[in-house]
Amino acid sequence: MSYPLTEEQQLIQQNAKEFALECVEPAAAEIDHTAAHPADIVKKMIEQDFLGIFMPSEFGGAEAGYLSYALIIEELSRVSGAVAAILMNHASLAAYSINRWGSAEQKTTYLSALCQGEKLGAFALNEPGAALGAGEHKVAAVKDGDTYVLKGRKCYVANGGVAGVYIVFAQTNPEAGAKGISAFIVDGQSDGLSIARIINKMGLRGCQSAELVFDNVKVPVANLLGAEGAGLAIAAEALAATSIAEGGMVVGIAQAAMEDAVKYGKQRIQFGRPIASFPAIQTMLAEMATNIHMLRLAVYDAATLLENGEPFAAEAAMIKLFAARIGQSALIDVIQIEGGYGYSQEMVASRLYRDIKGAVIKNSSIDFPEKIIAGNLLA
Amino acid sequence: MVDMSLSPEQQKVQQLAQEFTAKYIIPVDREWDEKGEFHEFILEEVKKAGLNCMAVPKEYGGPGYSSVMQSLVAEQWGYGCAAFATTLGGNGLSSYPLAIAGTDEQKKLYYGRLVNGGMGGFALTEPGAGSDAGSCSTIAKLDGEEWVINGTKCFATTCGYTDIMVVFASTDPSKGVKGLSAFIIEKERAGVIVGAVEHKMGIRSSNTVELILKNVRIPKTHLLGKEGEGMKLAMKTLDMARPIVASLAVGVAQRALDEAVKFAKEYLDVNGKPIGKHQAIAFKLADMATQVEAARQLVRNALRLKDAGVPYTKEAAMAKTFATDAAMRVAADAVEIMGQYGYSKDAIVEKLMRDAKVTQIYEGTNQVQRIVISGILLNS
Repeated sequence: MSYPLTEEQQLIQQNAKEFALECVEPAAAEIDHTAAHPADIVKKMIEQDFLGIFMPSEFGGAEAGYLSYALIIEELSRVSGAVAAILMNHASLAAYSINRWGSAEQKTTYLSALCQGEKLGAFALNEPGAALGAGEHKVAAVKDGDTYVLKGRKCYVANGGVAGVYIVFAQTNPEAGAKGISAFIVDGQSDGLSIARIINKMGLRGCQSAELVFDNVKVPVANLLGAEGAGLAIAAEALAATSIAEGGMVVGIAQAAMEDAVKYGKQRIQFGRPIASFPAIQTMLAEMATNIHMLRLAVYDAATLLENGEPFAAEAAMIKLFAARIGQSALIDVIQIEGGYGYSQEMVASRLYRDIKGAVIKNSSIDFPEKIIAGNLLA
Repeated sequence: MVDMSLSPEQQKVQQLAQEFTAKYIIPVDREWDEKGEFHEFILEEVKKAGLNCMAVPKEYGGPGYSSVMQSLVAEQWGYGCAAFATTLGGNGLSSYPLAIAGTDEQKKLYYGRLVNGGMGGFALTEPGAGSDAGSCSTIAKLDGEEWVINGTKCFATTCGYTDIMVVFASTDPSKGVKGLSAFIIEKERAGVIVGAVEHKMGIRSSNTVELILKNVRIPKTHLLGKEGEGMKLAMKTLDMARPIVASLAVGVAQRALDEAVKFAKEYLDVNGKPIGKHQAIAFKLADMATQVEAARQLVRNALRLKDAGVPYTKEAAMAKTFATDAAMRVAADAVEIMGQYGYSKDAIVEKLMRDAKVTQIYEGTNQVQRIVISGILLNS
């Protein structure tokens, strides 16, 4: 790796690699198989300070920067996309939002709890059947004295059911459409908040996704995150920050898959020689190695921009766009190289194939990376 | 929807397959995927509809469907469930070597089993012989009036419950590819053992097993074609089968497209507008549809050449490569368009994306197809 990582970043990377291999990899296949939330691994990640890794020390974070965090995501993803996704939804979406837009009081109460792992964070954005605020099950928030009353449904909420803190997007002003959406910090124990069902997914199994029901959930006015109507802007920036971490996930998953294909290609003899000696196979490997390298550099670059407080939305969207293309094609090629063996459910390649799709699909129908990139060019 | 470019007879078959798929397959596709097996009754229904042995000629009691008609059915089955299409495709695949090299007596035996509702199998691949089918370590030795066969086949489709199968074994290992021969083996022969069942990422309800042959004795007359001509027979068989696999893939792609279009019309964006109104989505759908149609026409073209009796090896390989690559891309794009919903098991497209992958691998990987296509280009 030629990218100039600081000594601290290199140490964090090394530590994350060892952690992933020792504590996560042995359980990875089982986590995928059962799709059960790996509470014991989350506990170990708390001990490693992963949960508040880029958060201010004032609130119990490690203040190690966003790039260090992206390095951890990459290392975890090499062994388990699900575990990486749990951390990502907690850190890039929930904790990030509170740190960025929260009041001092909100940070003391909620960010501290998230950094120290007392609570896991989640981001409740999607709604059944339609984008945020557009469908019949949308979550509406009606102000009543010093509380907002939330009613409606959220679906595909990662960490849903295991999180203690939810960032919930709800419509406070239906007439204003998309501009009438606000963000709230909602305690997972709130009365009226329940889990309708756990969602069965193709991959990232073990990062539990749930459908949530808000049945007149009372949220104190003090838990409004940012201004009323700022919800969409908050979601957009948190999703952009998450795109960088997702880029790290794709790098990690694709790297692991490539290494698996290289190992297989060297061992698999057909026509009297290892299949890795055929140019057709080498072309596939060369292409994925090139793409992974490019994506890794883009992730490190955007993470550095974010941690330096510079604009990063366009760079993050480029990562989203590029990662979707190369992540998908890398895994299609890896299984192609491994043939019927890689296609077997028991082989790691088939899990990575399912997981990488989860790392590259849109988190919601509001993020079109092309629109963000072009918008930046045309502004 | 009936394709008006087809003859009335072809349209009838297409409609029959469409109705069958809608009635019996689509309602249970998710359940089959989860369980990794079919409901037994479906095979009875296939038999009732006369679709279980499409490739069997009329004089042997089958419907004797043309290649185009077989392809129309395969596409509809692929639309419903690629695993099911693969299973029934095994009956076609294993019928082809009989059509190419079978004696009247062999045809009566093999086709008879299929016509009576039996399933056929085709066992070529071995642990050490995938794309390199010539490295076969299953050995057949003549002992008086019988062949004695020993070896292990892997990734044998449907062989856990086939009644009869075409199995490839070497009659002269010293000759490599030229020592390969094909045999008809009935399931009830002593020494035919079904080994480990393969748990796959996709086409999960298609039965894929290890097939162990332990001193299996079959009559001398079960040799299919000439000794040493197995490879040639396998290649000709795969020529015939490739457009059918391609059709199955077209079906998968069409389903993914239809699901994505439905979603794009129904799912509203933050402004309450269907996401299909976004050009980013609309253009992607247009590209997906174009790929599906191009794949379908490439398949039809290869089959028309075949039915006209002219060489079609190159076109069959092109159709297989293009259609299966298209299925992979279109299925992956459908999941992308449908986002978190598409990625969940609430939607069928995640299954399509798992299923599509195998079509690029089986019946000759797409790398092997490119060897075939480029070989013809460079050697003619």
